Amino acid sequence: MTESRFFILLAFAIVLTVGTAAGVAPRSPVGSSIVGPVSASPGVYVPEELKVKYRRPDEIPAPPSNPLTPEKVELGKTLFFDPRLSRTGSVSCASCHHPGFDWSDGLKRGVGVTGVPLPRRTPTVLNAAWLSALMWDGRAASLEQQAVLPITAEHEMGLELDEAVANVQAIKGYAPLFEAAYPGEGIRAETMLGALASFQRTLVSGEAPFDRWIDGDEAAISEAAKRGFLVFNEAGRCSKCHSSWRFTDDSFHDIGLESEDLGRGEFAPPSVVIMQHAFKTPTLRDFRLSGPYMHDGSMASLDEVIDHYEDGGKKRPSLSPEMQAVTLSAQERADLIAYLKTLQGAPLDVTMPRLP
Amino acid sequence: MRLTTAAMMAMMAMALPLSGGASAAEHTVVLHHMELDKIEGEMRVGDVVAFDNRSDMAHNLYLTYSDGTVDNLDTQVPGVTRSLTLRVAGPAVIRCWIHPIIKSEFVILDGKEDAGR
Repeated sequence: MTESRFFILLAFAIVLTVGTAAGVAPRSPVGSSIVGPVSASPGVYVPEELKVKYRRPDEIPAPPSNPLTPEKVELGKTLFFDPRLSRTGSVSCASCHHPGFDWSDGLKRGVGVTGVPLPRRTPTVLNAAWLSALMWDGRAASLEQQAVLPITAEHEMGLELDEAVANVQAIKGYAPLFEAAYPGEGIRAETMLGALASFQRTLVSGEAPFDRWIDGDEAAISEAAKRGFLVFNEAGRCSKCHSSWRFTDDSFHDIGLESEDLGRGEFAPPSVVIMQHAFKTPTLRDFRLSGPYMHDGSMASLDEVIDHYEDGGKKRPSLSPEMQAVTLSAQERADLIAYLKTLQGAPLDVTMPRLP
Repeated sequence: MRLTTAAMMAMMAMALPLSGGASAAEHTVVLHHMELDKIEGEMRVGDVVAFDNRSDMAHNLYLTYSDGTVDNLDTQVPGVTRSLTLRVAGPAVIRCWIHPIIKSEFVILDGKEDAGR
């Protein structure tokens, strides 16, 4: 990381009062901190090349068309927490992506302005800066595109985009925030959505015990968790989809849940059978230990989730080839759960904005 | 005599079925994990492109032509090769339904031009 980039990231951390827990602190260069093989415990070998696959990146990516600035992040945070972006004036982005619930809502299925349960569970917005396809079905290609979807969804925030912009334009205190973030561009849909996207890009999982282990602190996680890491990558086949430092391949799979929801299949020709009932692999960082799990919130515990993967899911033509029944011993299951719990980072210390 | 001329023309047509005098080429593109080999060389209408999945995961590629039409390659588990014949000249993009991060853009030349062949 260059010195200038480090200071830009540091500036964001100060603006958000996120501190080191935000996960944007500089990291050791890949492979520089640990040399040679690492033993998890006597008899357990964890190759360094496997650990390197999970090392966190140094920088937050942003598109050239909307580079990150502290002013955009501040504006975006204010908009994110403002319920006046909804039809009833009572639902903000943060209502469903609540900091206290790891930027989700802890519900089986979210609820918006109409009170009608939404068809899918609310995903976290943590680490969204790295996503190449957003929403459970991947129908948005960027955070800028995604930001408009909940605002204009009937049962989420329930406004037309023009109405949302008009609401913001009517609030006098927003004018200087927009001018600082997008000088001379005014309060428009593009600037509003761009600011929301910018703020969300700064929501990066805090450093977890797992990260400290990856960086060479052997005492950061238990021996059981280290064994669980191997189960995750080998016998459990979890890493077939939950790969990379975010524990997602950013891809779409039918994992064989009993559901009529076609997911990404809604956007693919019927001949693309593999996309029917396919949903994006969710990140495992900061997942809710209390559940619920899966895109439809249909599972309440980690044991239930592991049972599902042991079973291999509903057999149908669209079932992902990566879904193969696995068998875990009681010890392996316990180790796997111990490992998954090491993915919990410190909560982000984001100060609430004072709404204009 | 007429029959002989017609037969000769037919033979010529069979020998040069595509590209106004150039034969269709075959190309192989390898899939490594979540990356496609860079598509190099001239691609022309009528050429056959084989996609060889040498990754350890299944893919489902599709090609979108400049006119918006799409050719799907169906699911390819590791080790499977699937092919398609290029249909439409112009910019084209290959993507994977399962892994949207996979994307490769290239230009398909008109098959009737045989310059460079």
